[in-house]
Formats: sequence, structure tokens, C-alpha cells
Amino acid sequence: MILEGLLARAVQMSTPLLLGALGEVMVERTGVMNMAIEGIFLLGAWAGFTGAYITGSLSAGFLCAMAAGVVVGVLYGWITVFLKQHQIVTGVALNILAAGIGIFFYRVLFGVPLLPLTVEPLRPLAVPFLSAIPVLGPALFRQNILTYLAWGAMPLGWWVLFRTRAGLVLRSTGANPEAVDAAGISVERVRFGAVLAASALSGLAGAFYSIGYLGLFSNDMIGGRGWIAFALCFLGNWNPLGALLGAVVFGIADAAAITLQTSGIRMVPNEFLIALPYVLTIAATLARKRFNVPASLGTAYTKEEK
Amino acid sequence: MTAEKHGGNSLSESLTDPDGILSSLFFSSLSVFLGLASAGVLMLFLGHSPAAVYRDLFSFAFRDVYNIADIFAKAAPLILTGLAFAFAFRAGLFNIGAQGQFYLGAVTSAACALSFPFLPSWLLLPLCAAASMAAGGLWGGMTGYFKARFNANEFLVSMMSTYVAVAIMDFLVRSPLREAKGEYPQTDVLAEASWIPSFLSGTRFHWGFFLALAAAGAAWVLLWKTTLGFRMRAVGKNRSAARFAGIREKNVFVSVFLVSGAFAGLAGFLEVNGVQHMVVQGFNPLLGAEGIGIAVLGGAHPLGVVLSALLFGALKVGGLLVTQTSSVPSSIIAILEGFVMLYVILSFYLRHRLRRACARRRAAAGGEAP
Repeated sequence: MILEGLLARAVQMSTPLLLGALGEVMVERTGVMNMAIEGIFLLGAWAGFTGAYITGSLSAGFLCAMAAGVVVGVLYGWITVFLKQHQIVTGVALNILAAGIGIFFYRVLFGVPLLPLTVEPLRPLAVPFLSAIPVLGPALFRQNILTYLAWGAMPLGWWVLFRTRAGLVLRSTGANPEAVDAAGISVERVRFGAVLAASALSGLAGAFYSIGYLGLFSNDMIGGRGWIAFALCFLGNWNPLGALLGAVVFGIADAAAITLQTSGIRMVPNEFLIALPYVLTIAATLARKRFNVPASLGTAYTKEEK
Repeated sequence: MTAEKHGGNSLSESLTDPDGILSSLFFSSLSVFLGLASAGVLMLFLGHSPAAVYRDLFSFAFRDVYNIADIFAKAAPLILTGLAFAFAFRAGLFNIGAQGQFYLGAVTSAACALSFPFLPSWLLLPLCAAASMAAGGLWGGMTGYFKARFNANEFLVSMMSTYVAVAIMDFLVRSPLREAKGEYPQTDVLAEASWIPSFLSGTRFHWGFFLALAAAGAAWVLLWKTTLGFRMRAVGKNRSAARFAGIREKNVFVSVFLVSGAFAGLAGFLEVNGVQHMVVQGFNPLLGAEGIGIAVLGGAHPLGVVLSALLFGALKVGGLLVTQTSSVPSSIIAILEGFVMLYVILSFYLRHRLRRACARRRAAAGGEAP
């Protein structure tokens, strides 16, 4: 029973990590790190909740979350891609801003409610027959729609990245921007577009925490999960399938922490379970020897001037 | 190649080769003004007049001796977390983990004070200070070591290590260091012998502020008057050139993170022994992030860091009183800081363009290539 619950929760908790990591893989392949990812997760969680609470529709909530992600993405992309400013520092600024903005507008819209406002989160959809398989059935086939989408998006992302022309352009923009430029494609536009797409995915990922799972918003609900998605991109060697593998491991760590905390079994202090995903990230960062870093990652592209 | 990754853009250009102190001051003030204006626009959503809020904010901050003294108390740890980021930045490294180093410095200092309450002040205070620096420095140094030994991404490791440090602090204040009453996740009040003496009695302005100033001075000396500083800046400017010059960059990585973490750890000593006199779970949760803003606003220069920290200190004192006495939420302080940082970044772009335009004009006038 515990195993079944653990697996089901691991698959569920990997959802936002998958969405965030997929976006990050796409954007980093073009040579830009999306350092605003933590802030976008948080604003996505806020916008998703707000949209769903006001309209009463979860789909509207998810759309709002993606829109919020795109708004931050426009700002981040404009400053880093077009104005060529520092990616890490710009990301830090936007993350601080996002931490204030979400809770500020929660207050503007809802005042200070005595009890946290709630919405009914996404319900699991059982796949007929498959969900009846013992242990694996409920874990894999009794999840909510966003989880199915996120898992499906990873192989799709791999296919787009490595088997289509669009993917070739993305990868070349990161590996050899001069060649892309020479082929008459605007490096800046490809990068800006990728930032927007990744931000939309990260906004959706953030909304998973507020309306896909808990049904409420709190300002500390992301707590570094955006950075874990960021880390998965690079632990997965800038490959969506690698990121998928990583997200499963982290999903299990997250699920184990939640399961052990709620089950009342006290083998180790809770705090160490909470720290587990972060320790795992550091350990995984150290264990990787070879990386496939996109050659121009983190550098702005400036055309040769005559 | 890696050096260009952190180097060749207008941020490092503006931070490391400022075109004169006056221009830096002008653009910093402009950024602060625009940041205040942008946050002011948001206040309109809550039906507050930004002019009135800011009038209150600044009149609160400078209302009486107590509040003015409080600015210095608030600025002291901000100087240190600002230095932590600025110092590493000079070597082209990113220490995003000052928050965690600060927390570990804070609990270590408290643990020290609680374990040796019988020691006299002149012995206990230096002991706590040294312990906090050691804790922050070792925790930061771990990031530097991982970078040197495993070529790990220091940004990611220092960021993740903060969450681990928070968990360690939570554990300590909930179990071994928990107050005798066992009611809240906090430590007992420290023995008075371990309190940093106040500079102005009846206020929170304590001698720790001067310790922070001394740290800023030490950072300046380290950076510009020692071989380590020279090596650091060489690695920051151009990593491969530094390697050709025979500088062992791995040693630089470790030393930089040791020192940077020690700055942040010392901030823990200042807050615990100077202001709080105990450790409360999750106190000062934004100190690390604010340090980054302060370092960027201050041009990653120790003097700029001190001035920016005083400004942020004033905003905090006034901002806190405004949020306590009106319905303006405290999140406005983070919003303000975020906006100021964004405008500083935009001003770097503007300054870069202005500099290029000047260079071009000079080249056209002088007839030689820029």
C-alpha cells in the first residue's frame, strides 16, 4: 500500500519538474539560461490560483499561469537577449520582484482572508483497464490531465529537438550562433521566442502546485522547486529524456519526504527529508563528469561590426 | 572562453571599470528613484497615495535618534551579505548562497554563546565572531571546493546549499538548541556577556556596524593590495589568460568562497549577538537576496556596498514602520528592491551605449580607430 502511494505521488510530483525542465532544455539549447525560472514558478502558481478562483475554471487558471510566465519571459528576454545584460543578475532581480508581486496582488484582490482561500484542484482521471493493474496501474494511470500531458511532452520534446528542422535551428543557435546568423536566421528572435515558450511552460508548472495539487496559494509553496527544474535540465545533459529520468528520481525524493512526514514514521528528523532533493541535486551535480554544454550558453550574441 | 561567459558584457564592464564616481552616483540615484516610482504605481492599486506613503516612509526613518540609529543596525548585516556577493563577483564567481552562510553563522554563534555563558565578554564575543565566520566560511568554501574539485556549477551548488542550510537551522532550533520552555522553534535568550555592546545606548545601533565597516575595508585591502586579490581579479577578468600567467584558479575558487562565506557568516554574529540576542526559526529570510541587490547597486565595490546598504537600511526602517502603521503590505519592500535592481541593470545598458557613442565621437574627431 505504501509503495503504491509512494509511486503514485512520485509520478504526480514529477509533473511540474518535467514541465519546467523541458522549457529550460529548449531555451538553454539556444544559448540562454532562463534564470527567472523560480520567480516564474511562483507567479505561475499565483496567477493560476487567481484565474481559477475568479473565473471558477481551472483551465482559465492554467491559461493565466502561462500568460504570467510569458509576461516575465518578455521582460527577461528583452533585457538579456536584446539589451544583452547579465543573465544571472537579471534573473535574481526578477525573482525578488516576483516574490513580492504575487503576495502583493493576492492582498489587492482578496484582502487578508481569515482562512486561506481554496479552489477544487485537478481531479485524477483513471485510464480504463490500465489503472486496474496492481501497484503500477494507480501510479501511472490514475493521474490528473496535466501529469499525462507533462509525461507525453517529454518524448515529443525530444522528437522536436532532434528530429525536426525547428529543433535543428534551436540547437544550432546555441552551438554555433554565427552559422545561424549567416543562414539568415535572427539569433535574437530564436532566443527570445525560446525564452517565451520556456516561460509559458514554467508558468504552467508553477500552477500545478497551486491548482493542480493543493488548491490554494501561499508565497512559499515553490521553495526552490524552480531551481530543481533548472538543475534537471543540466543533469539531464540538455536532453528532454535525460531530464525525464532526473525528474522521476526527484519525484520519488519529494514523494518519500511527504509520505514519511504524513505516515508518522520517525526514522530521521523531518528537516533532513525536506533537504533531500537539494542534497540530491548537489550530489548529482558533482557526480556528472561529462557535459554537453551548448557552446554559447550564457553569452549574448553580438554581430560582428563593420 | 569561460571568462567571456561572465565577462564580456556591459554589467561587468560597468561594475569593474566604472566611468567615474559621479556618473555611478547619478545612475544609481536614478535607478533608486525609478524603483520608488514603479513601486509607487503599485500602491495606487491599494488606494494609497505613493507620495504620502514615501513621505511617511522617510519621515519615519529619520523621525528620531532611535530610528536613525536603527538604520545603522539594519545596514550592518546588509553590508556583509552585500560584500559576500561583491567579493566573489570580482573573481567572476557567483555566491548566491549568502542566506545559508548567514543562517549557519547565526546558529553557530548562538550555540557558542549558549555553551559558554560563563566566559567573560572580552573572550566570548571574539569567540562567537570567529565561530560564525568559520561556519559561514566553511559552508561557502564547500561550494568553492566543489567547483575546484568537480568543476561544479557554483551558482547551482550555492543556491541549493542554502535550502540545505535552512533545513539544518530548522533542525537545530527545533531540537538540540530549542528553548528550555520548548514552546517555539527558537533558542533561549543569550547570556548578556555575549551581547555586542550598543554604540548609542537605548538604541539598536551596536558596535557591530563598525565591524561591518572594517570588513568592507578588509575586502578592499584584500582585493586591491594583496596577491590573492590580484589573482582573483585576474581570474575574474579573463580565466584563460590568468591560467597562462600561472595562476592556479582552483586555489582562487576555494579562497574566494571561504572569504565570501565568512562575510555572510559574520552577518549572523551581528544579527544574533547584536540585535536579536537569540535565534528564531526563519528570521531575516531576505538578507541574502538583498545583499545581491546591494552589491549590484554598489557597483561591487566595498564603498558602494556600504552606501547602498545604508540606503536599503533606511528603506527597511521606514518601510517596516509604514507597513505596521498602515495597510500597505510588507511585500512592497521586496517589490521596491526588485524594481531598483532592474533599473540598475537597465542603467548598465544605457551607460554602455553612452560610452560607445562617446568613443565613436572621439574616434571620429581624432581620426583613429576606437
